[in-house]
Amino acid sequence: MSKLTLAIPSKGRLMEQTTDMFARAGLVVRKVGHVRGYRGEIDGLPEIDVAYVSSGEIAAALKAGSVHLGITGEDLIRENISDAATRIRFLQALGFGFADVIVAVPACWVDVATVHDLEDIALPFRRLHGRWPRVATKYVNLTRRFFGSKGFGDYRIIESAGATEGAPAAGMAELIVDITTTGETLRANGLKILDDGVILKSQANLCASNAAAWTPEFEKICAELTAALSASVPVKATSRV
Amino acid sequence: MTVETTRNLEALAAQAQTMMSVFTKAGYEAVAPSIIQPADVFLDVIGEGLRARTYVFTDQDGAELCLRPDITVPTCRLHLERHADPVTPARYCYNGPAFRFQPQGATASHPREFRQAGIERFGDKSREAAEAETVAIVVKAIEKVGLRDWTLKLGDLGLFSSVLDAADVSPNWKKRLDDAFLKPLSFRKALKDFASAARVASPGVPEELLSAMRRDEWEKSEAAVAVYLEENAIELLGTRSLADITEHLMVIAEDRKEKPLDASAIELIERYVGVTGPATTAGEKIAALLEGAANGAGAALETYDRRLALLANAGIDLNRVTFSAEFGRTLAYYSGLVFEVNSASLEEKSPIAGGGRYDGLMRAAGAQAEVPAVGAAIHSERLLAATVKGAQ
Repeated sequence: MSKLTLAIPSKGRLMEQTTDMFARAGLVVRKVGHVRGYRGEIDGLPEIDVAYVSSGEIAAALKAGSVHLGITGEDLIRENISDAATRIRFLQALGFGFADVIVAVPACWVDVATVHDLEDIALPFRRLHGRWPRVATKYVNLTRRFFGSKGFGDYRIIESAGATEGAPAAGMAELIVDITTTGETLRANGLKILDDGVILKSQANLCASNAAAWTPEFEKICAELTAALSASVPVKATSRV
Repeated sequence: MTVETTRNLEALAAQAQTMMSVFTKAGYEAVAPSIIQPADVFLDVIGEGLRARTYVFTDQDGAELCLRPDITVPTCRLHLERHADPVTPARYCYNGPAFRFQPQGATASHPREFRQAGIERFGDKSREAAEAETVAIVVKAIEKVGLRDWTLKLGDLGLFSSVLDAADVSPNWKKRLDDAFLKPLSFRKALKDFASAARVASPGVPEELLSAMRRDEWEKSEAAVAVYLEENAIELLGTRSLADITEHLMVIAEDRKEKPLDASAIELIERYVGVTGPATTAGEKIAALLEGAANGAGAALETYDRRLALLANAGIDLNRVTFSAEFGRTLAYYSGLVFEVNSASLEEKSPIAGGGRYDGLMRAAGAQAEVPAVGAAIHSERLLAATVKGAQ
């Protein structure tokens, strides 16, 4: 019989926090075979096959249904899956990997505090510089959806793979959409968050893929795992939805 | 319907040929602009909202390109390449594929790859005549391929401006209302806000700066902004200069001093936006609500009546025509007349053809000034589906 597959981050802080979280729930995750391999299992839950996947690719695996379950940031799910509401079930917010996806502009823009103000400056900006204000981000879809919901369309997206906070000072873009936890990096780069510029308050989630093949047996194991994990989540991480 | 059978392909080709012959006989030159287009023009003109519906990609040299989401913008670019003076009159027609991303669950009448047959005409001095002729030729082409049950829906984005003129709204208010009209999502809220104040500054914009703005003391005002930044240890960075920031603060401060929008103007606007129904009676409705307007009904109604007369002259049965004051507000680049051809065989959200006036588009595509432009495109797959259904 094929197994229930759970994708967890393969490296870095997210992987450590995931392992800790499982440990608090009394579940020991260990690698199978070579220590540098990418398969694992959970003691006491032999029906689950663990796949170590780079955190950026977990959303894609959930979207395709090549894994049943995955632990990844809500930001990555919302960004990479246009119909997340139908494809993904958010089973449990896990209380780590906190990150807010935000709109930030240079702090010297004392005349701009909201998205509405951005809309106000877009046309004069275009008259002066011959183009719409540019938004540097790697969250292309979240940005578009957020501005779209506010009726703002007069901007251009510049895709930015890293060091996005530096884009306005470097003249690569006028504003950014990025993630922040403490706001420290934004401040250090002379940026401020718009008053209505929080797009998403994200954290790591246990997610289920509706695109994967589910059996009643898998549903049962999934429920057990969710219950075990939810018992060890810090109180403040209540599940949204 | 997909084209992936020989039968469909042949039916679409035959249909296109019939329509193209209608266009070329009427004096439209057949052109075939490139399928792959620079993404810039589209994204700049139509805005980032378009990216959601367009296949945008980066080539090996890092250039941002797209599969054309329509053939109107490519035809504008072709016209600009040919003519140093973009106002040079020209008429073009085309038939070919266009591409739009469709979200999961889109119906069969929203394929991501579809064929558009259409016409575009530039530089016409006689505005309403060019518009009526465009509508008439599209209807003729559609009838020629066998669709009988068409209906025509009209809107006019310029009429709203004329109504504001009739109500004697100040130029400053007119500009703001024109902008707000094109944003249906926030329009009602904007109107409500305008009734209490011309502008409420965002609470996050420092009050001490707003109250320090004086246009007649520009340098002093700019210095106040510089001092504020310095005192708060904020570094001036990025593309917008101190002058840009000061100017915007100035505009906010000036707007705040303006009187709220007159209640009678708001009532007139709300009633106008609600006008919808048969085109032959919509004119009377507008006339009724403009009765006693400060500047008289004047230009607004003249344009409306002249356009209907021209359509009737061109052979359009006015009983099939409806008018909606709101129609066209969300359509990308149109600026005056907008129209849509529907068929009872297809759902309302799947028009067979659409078009209108878009004088501003050519400037966005690179011309120095606005160029009179009217055009329309026919969705070939929908037209075929409707004619097949209609014949059954």
